Amino acid sequence: MKRYLKLYLYFLQFSFSKALQFRVDFFFRIFMDVIFYIVQFLFFEIIYLHTPLLAGWSIEQMRIFICSFIFVDAFNMTFFANNAWWFPQTINKGDLDYYLTRPVSPFFFLGFKEFAANSLINLLMATSIFSYALFTYSQDLNLIKVIIFILLLINGAFLYYMTNLIFLFSVFWTGSNRGYGDLFFAAEKIFQRPDLIFSNYFRRFFVNILPFAAMASIPTRFLFEKNTELLLIECITGSIFIYIVVAFIWNKGIRDYTSASS
Amino acid sequence: MSKVFFQVFNLELRRLITYRSDFWVNFIGQIFFSLVIAYFLWESIFSHNINKSINGYTITHMIFYYLCAPLFFRIQQGQGIGFISREIYAGEINKFLIYPIKYFSFKLSTYLANSFFIFVQLIILLVVYNLFFYDPKIYSFSIISSIQFLSILIICSISFFYLFSIVELLAFWFDNIWSLAVILRFTTSFLGGVLIPISFFPNWAQEIIYLTPFPYYIDFPMKALTGKLLFQEYLIGMIIIFAWLICFYFIAKLTWKKGNYSYTGVGI
Repeated sequence: MKRYLKLYLYFLQFSFSKALQFRVDFFFRIFMDVIFYIVQFLFFEIIYLHTPLLAGWSIEQMRIFICSFIFVDAFNMTFFANNAWWFPQTINKGDLDYYLTRPVSPFFFLGFKEFAANSLINLLMATSIFSYALFTYSQDLNLIKVIIFILLLINGAFLYYMTNLIFLFSVFWTGSNRGYGDLFFAAEKIFQRPDLIFSNYFRRFFVNILPFAAMASIPTRFLFEKNTELLLIECITGSIFIYIVVAFIWNKGIRDYTSASS
Repeated sequence: MSKVFFQVFNLELRRLITYRSDFWVNFIGQIFFSLVIAYFLWESIFSHNINKSINGYTITHMIFYYLCAPLFFRIQQGQGIGFISREIYAGEINKFLIYPIKYFSFKLSTYLANSFFIFVQLIILLVVYNLFFYDPKIYSFSIISSIQFLSILIICSISFFYLFSIVELLAFWFDNIWSLAVILRFTTSFLGGVLIPISFFPNWAQEIIYLTPFPYYIDFPMKALTGKLLFQEYLIGMIIIFAWLICFYFIAKLTWKKGNYSYTGVGI
């Protein structure tokens, strides 16, 4: 464990020096995320011009939900997104060989070596917007619930990454260099919508099988609703299931991996 | 020149169908998720509306809209992010400086091959829609609207190619322009009407949006496809897109020319 922590600190060091090599891109990326945040807020503001409630939420509650998925997105962009980009290409080109021979878990090495230092600014920005939305919320919020809510959102960012990996690991068998990454980006918009808009079967599917709803929507409902024990259980079981599935697919993929251009 | 264009176009198409299982899974999966998200979101919004219609859109209109709009957007995007910048970054532009071929012609042919590939998906979708969910109030095939739609789509794709190229060519100076290209994507997606139809925006916002080229990439072809475009509107729209196309063409050419002086030819 200590060895892995030390290794992760080196990853951070490399990532910061790499980010400073492309200084202009550093600022472009901040600007990009700001545009993304603005678009998300405007999208729901326009929707609320035509409806008083969406999935039972007022515009004020929806703003907290938007802040939640922006936080999950910023967390993912900072810690995981770059790794997800390189993962399938490394497998496709046969570069996984180098990682398999090293005395470190290849999943850890490939899955966490890239830290987006430029997105860290955005994570701070997202956290600020998120805190502002929570502090200015007109109803009283329970402090313990807020703490659990934040933990659930961090878990949501991990879930987002793991679900993305499930789509990308298809590269072990299909041989393409992006796997089903495009499909994931069509599906991931589900996590930017309240889960209560979906019918019961779809909602269950998006909680337990493809847990997009457990990334931001269920944590937000946990914050607002009473009698939320069931939501917490749903979130935890959905997460455990996806972590097991990722481990299974990764191990199967490694067994079937045939090196260069597999 | 046209022979080279079609050869490059053919080669790119062949490359695109190399991974067939990927193609079908991505195609069907993307439609499925787009549909599910759009249906449930708008059904939830319409449930609060007594008339079951907002700005002339019913839930079935919305489903058709969200089936087509993402595909229009993908048609405009052609090869996607990195189609020029990656070559500049890797120093692969060298070959184009030596080959007896115009860089933009080559790139445009590969770009349009990608657009054509998505266009075929759109045709499949429209055929399936007409076979199983035919509703003349939403979409019915007509030769005039199809010609209007096709001409708009071709001009728009070329226009977006040059707009996209301007951003990509900035890689001559900034190396990595991925974020800038994503900004262009977000902006087009929001102001073009992929995320939400433009008629849902407040009137003052619509007036501003129509001063930009973005609604002509998504909203305008959608109106043509659904036969909501009067001939006069079509002509005016085409003139505006063409003006934007010429504008982007000259800026792209200028950027390419200036960029060549900054190009070191070294793959980083």
